[in-house]
Amino acid sequence: MRGRVSRLTVLAFVAPAVLSLALVGIAPLLFAGWTSLHFYNLTKLRRVAFIGLENYQTVLGDEVFWQAVGRTLFLLGTALPIQIAFGLGVAIILHRPGLNLLKTLTRLSLVLPMATTYAVVGLLGQVMFNQKFGVINQLLPGPGINWIGDPQNAFIMIIFWDVWQWTPFVALVLLAGLTMVPGEVEEAARLETKSWWTILRHVQLPFLIPGLVAVLILRTADTLKLFDMVFTLTRGGPGAATEFVSLMIQRVGFRAFDQGLASAQAIILLIITIILAQIYIRIFYKEV
Amino acid sequence: MSPRPMRSPKLPPAQHKRPPLIWETVILVAIIIVCVFPFYWMVTTSLKTHIVALEAPPAWIFEPTFNNYSEALFKDGVLRTLFNSLIIAICTTCLALILGIPAAFALARFEFRGKKDLWFWFITNRMVSPIVLALPFFLIAKNLGLLDRHITLILIYLTFNLPIVIWIVTDQIRGIPFELDEAARLEGASQFTIMTRICLPLAMPGVAVSAIFSFIFSWNELMFGLILTRNDAKTAPAMAVSFMEGYNLPYGKIMATSTLIVIPVLIFALLASRHLVRGLTMGAVK
Amino acid sequence: MKKYILTNAVSAAALSLGLAVGGISHAMTWSLKDAAAPYSGTTVDVVFLLRPGYEAIEAMLPAFEDETGIQINIIKHPYENALGEQVRDFVADGDLDIALIDLVWIGNFAENEWVIPVDELQAKFPDIVDPDLDINDFFPLVLNAFGGWDGKIYGVPFDNYSGLLFYNRCLLEESGFDGPPETWAELKDVYGPALTKDGKYAFALQSKRNETQSADSFARVIWPFGGSFLDENFRSNLLSEESQAGLKFRQDLMQYMPDGIVAYDHAEVVNAFAQGDVAMITEWSAFYSTVVSEETSAVADCVAIAPEPKGPAGRKPALGGFSLAVASQADEAEQAAAWLFIQWATSKANALEYLERGGVPARASAYADPALAETYTFIPALVESWQDGVPEFRPRFAEWPEITEIVQEWGTKMMLGEVTTEEGAAEIGSRMEAVLEAAGYYSGDKPLAQ
Repeated sequence: MRGRVSRLTVLAFVAPAVLSLALVGIAPLLFAGWTSLHFYNLTKLRRVAFIGLENYQTVLGDEVFWQAVGRTLFLLGTALPIQIAFGLGVAIILHRPGLNLLKTLTRLSLVLPMATTYAVVGLLGQVMFNQKFGVINQLLPGPGINWIGDPQNAFIMIIFWDVWQWTPFVALVLLAGLTMVPGEVEEAARLETKSWWTILRHVQLPFLIPGLVAVLILRTADTLKLFDMVFTLTRGGPGAATEFVSLMIQRVGFRAFDQGLASAQAIILLIITIILAQIYIRIFYKEV
Repeated sequence: MSPRPMRSPKLPPAQHKRPPLIWETVILVAIIIVCVFPFYWMVTTSLKTHIVALEAPPAWIFEPTFNNYSEALFKDGVLRTLFNSLIIAICTTCLALILGIPAAFALARFEFRGKKDLWFWFITNRMVSPIVLALPFFLIAKNLGLLDRHITLILIYLTFNLPIVIWIVTDQIRGIPFELDEAARLEGASQFTIMTRICLPLAMPGVAVSAIFSFIFSWNELMFGLILTRNDAKTAPAMAVSFMEGYNLPYGKIMATSTLIVIPVLIFALLASRHLVRGLTMGAVK
Repeated sequence: MKKYILTNAVSAAALSLGLAVGGISHAMTWSLKDAAAPYSGTTVDVVFLLRPGYEAIEAMLPAFEDETGIQINIIKHPYENALGEQVRDFVADGDLDIALIDLVWIGNFAENEWVIPVDELQAKFPDIVDPDLDINDFFPLVLNAFGGWDGKIYGVPFDNYSGLLFYNRCLLEESGFDGPPETWAELKDVYGPALTKDGKYAFALQSKRNETQSADSFARVIWPFGGSFLDENFRSNLLSEESQAGLKFRQDLMQYMPDGIVAYDHAEVVNAFAQGDVAMITEWSAFYSTVVSEETSAVADCVAIAPEPKGPAGRKPALGGFSLAVASQADEAEQAAAWLFIQWATSKANALEYLERGGVPARASAYADPALAETYTFIPALVESWQDGVPEFRPRFAEWPEITEIVQEWGTKMMLGEVTTEEGAAEIGSRMEAVLEAAGYYSGDKPLAQ
C-alpha cells in the first residue's frame, strides 16, 4: 500500500518538528499549568505557595474576565461578517473581466494592509483618529468625533482597523476560490440565469466554502490573540471598552505581576481556543 | 450577464449590457485609496516637525523634514532594532523550514497511526494566543538565563512559524503526483532522497510562500518582543512602542519609526504578492 | 502612620550624623576623581524615562564620565513600561545596577531587597561617600516618601514632582478673574462656568487608564476632601463620606472638562493647556519647561503657577517622584560606581545646573536664593507643597502595582458613568481588600505600613 513505511522512518521525519514544538510550545504550557496552581507573584517570589484551584475559582467567578471574553467574541461577531461581505464584494469585482491594469493595481494594494505590522496599525490609528489633529475627523463632516475617549466610538475604531487590515485577506482568499470555478461551468450558468445571486449561490459558493472555512478559523484564532493593535491604539480603554482577553491577561501577568492568576486565565483561554478550533476543524476539515 | 458588485443593488437586475465600467472603476479606485491612504498619512506625518504634526486641522501641505528619521535611526537606536528584527526573522524562518519540511513530507506521503491528530496538533499551535506562552516562557527563559537573547525569540517564534510551514508545505506536497515517488523508489531511492530530490523542487512555490509568511509574521511580532527582550535583542516593533511616554508623544518620530518598520515588509510582500495569494489559496482552499 | 514617618526622619538624621562624624577625617581631601579611581572603566546600567529631568542629567553626564572613567549605560523606557522592565530585570538577576524607583514602588523594591539601604552601602564603601552629601538638605517629606521605607532610606530623590496648578492668566483675566481659585469648590462653581465657553474649557484632569488615573485623577480628588484609600485598619476607606465627596466632585467637575477626558494622559492635557484650549490644569512641576517654552506652547507668556487648590481637608497636593537606589544584584565595583553616580546626580553642587537644564532638584539649599523664583515661577508653589504633603498619597507598599490596576479600571468606569461612585468604590474596596488579605495584612503577618 502506498505510504506504508516503517515507524522509524516516520519518526525520523516527524521527530525534529515535534520535539522542537514540544519544547517551545508544550513545556511552557506545563509550566503555566504549574504556576496556575500557585500563588505566584513576580514581586513576591519568596512567598510562592501551592493554592490548588484557587486561581481558577477566581477567574471563573470574575465577571471582568468573562466580560473580556464576551467582548472578544463580540468583536469577532461584528468584524468578521463585515469582512466577509466586503471581501466577497471585492472578490467578485476583481473576478470580472476587463480593467486589467486597474485590477492588478487593486490586488497589489490589497496586499499592503495584511502585511502591515499590527502594532503600527495601532500607532497609525492614534494619529489618524485623534479628535483634534486627526485626519479622519477632518475628512468627516460635522463636529469632531471623540474616537479614542468614547467607549462606543473606540470599539468602532477597533472594528474599523480590523476590517481594514483583514478584508483584503478575505477578498484574496475568496478571489482564489472564484478562480477555481471551471470556466465552462460558469459560462453555462450565465446562459441560464441573469441573476448574479443565483450564480453565486449555486455555482460559485461550493468553491468558496473551503476558503470561508479557513477565514473563519484563522480570524477566530487571530481575534482571540488580538493584542498588538489594541495595545498601541487604546490600551484597552477607555474604561474597559476595548479590553480584549489577551490584553487583560497581559495586564494581570505583567502589570499587576500576578503570574499565577494570569496563567489560570491563559489556560482557560487556551481551552476556549481548543474547543473552538476542534469544532471548526473537525466539522469542516475532515480529510487529511 | 455577469455578477454585479454587491454594493450597487439599485441597478435593475435584468440588465443585458454589462453595468457601466465607470462604476467598477470608481469602486476599484476607492478600494485602492482606502488601502493606501493610511500609508500615505504615515509617511507624510513622519516628515512633519512636532509642531506641524499636532496642527489642527492637520496640514496636507508643509515643508518636509527628515529630522525624525535621523533622530530615530541614529540617536534612539532604531537602526539596531531593525537589524535585530532582521536577524531574528531570517533565522526563525530558516529553522522553521528545516524542521517543518520533513514533517510536512511525512504528513503528505506516509501512512501512520495518529497522523490526523498530529496534523491537528501542529495546526492548533497556530491558534494559541501568544500571551498563553509568553508568561511561562518568560519564567523559563529567566531561569535559563536566556532573556534578551536573539535565540529566545528565534525559538519562540517557531510556535507560529512551524504550523504555517507544515500547513502550506503539506498541502503543496500532496499536490505532487505520487507516481513520481514510486518511480524513484523503484530505482532504489531512499525517502530522504525522494523528499530532497523529487518533492522539494516541485514544492518550491509552497516552501517559498511559507517562508514569506514566516518572515512577515516574525518581523511584525510585538508581544514576545516586548516581554522577552530588554535591550540587546530588542525588536523594531517593541522599539516603536517605547516612544509612547505619556509625557510627550512625538508623533512625527513614532511615524518615522513605523515607516522604517513597515516599508521593508511591504516591499517584500509586494514583490512576493503573487505567491502570497497562492499561499493563501493553498492554506485555505483545498 | 505618623509614628512611622517620624522614625523615618529620625533614621535619616542618624544617618547624616554618622556621616558627619565618620566623614571628618576625609572631608578635606575627598574628591570625586580620587574616590572613583578604583572603579574607572566600570559600566553602570540604569533605566531612565523620557522626561525632562532625565534629559537634564543626560546632558550633564559627560562631565561625570570624564572625571570618573565610569560609563553610564542609559536604557530608556516610557513610564508605563518602566516598572515591568525593572521587575523583570530584577527577578532575572539581570544587568541593572541602579533602580529607578517611583515613590509607589519603594515598598516592592525594599521588601524584595533588590536595593541596598543607604547606610549599609556607606558602611560597605566608606571611601566613596561624599562628605558634602548632606542628606538632611533634602526636603524631609520628599526624602522619606521617595526613598524611604520601613524606617530606612534606600533611594536618593532624583526626579521630583509636586502637583501644581498651572493657569492661563490671560484667559482668567478675560473672564474677570485676577487670580487663581483658592479652593476646589471655587474652581468648580465659580471658575468652571465662567471659563467653559467658545469651545474652551475651564479645566482638564488627566485621567487615562494607567498610573495617571490613580495618581493624577483619583487620588487627587479623594485627599483634599478628607478621604483616603485605606483606614487605620487597612480596610477600604473609599465608601466613606469624605472619599465619596471627592469622587462625586470629580464627576461634577467633568462638565467643565473636554470630552473624552478619560483618554487624556499628561501629553494631551499639557498640549490642550499649551494650545490655549484649557484654562487650568493640575500637573506635575516637571511640565514647567514645556508650558513656558515658546517652542512647545502657544500661551507661554500667559502661564502662571499656584499651589493646587484646597479642599475641605486642606491642601493635599499630588506627590510623586523618583529616587535612585543601588541594586543589590550589581557586583561590588558596579555598586560603588552606581553610588558615585547617584551622589553626583543629586548633589548640592549640581542642583542649580540640573534646575537650569529642566530638572527639579529636591534639595532645600537649591531654592535658597530668592532671585531664582523670578526665573522659575513654579518654585514658591513647589516649596510650599513640599512642606506639608501626604507621603501615602498613593500607598507605597508592595501591593500597589496590583491595587493601582484595580483603581485604574474602576476609576475610569466611574468617570464614564458605567458605574456610580459608590458601586465603583465598593468594587475597588473589595478587590483591594482581597489583595491586602492575601498579602497578610489582616492576619498580622505584615505591619500596616504604607
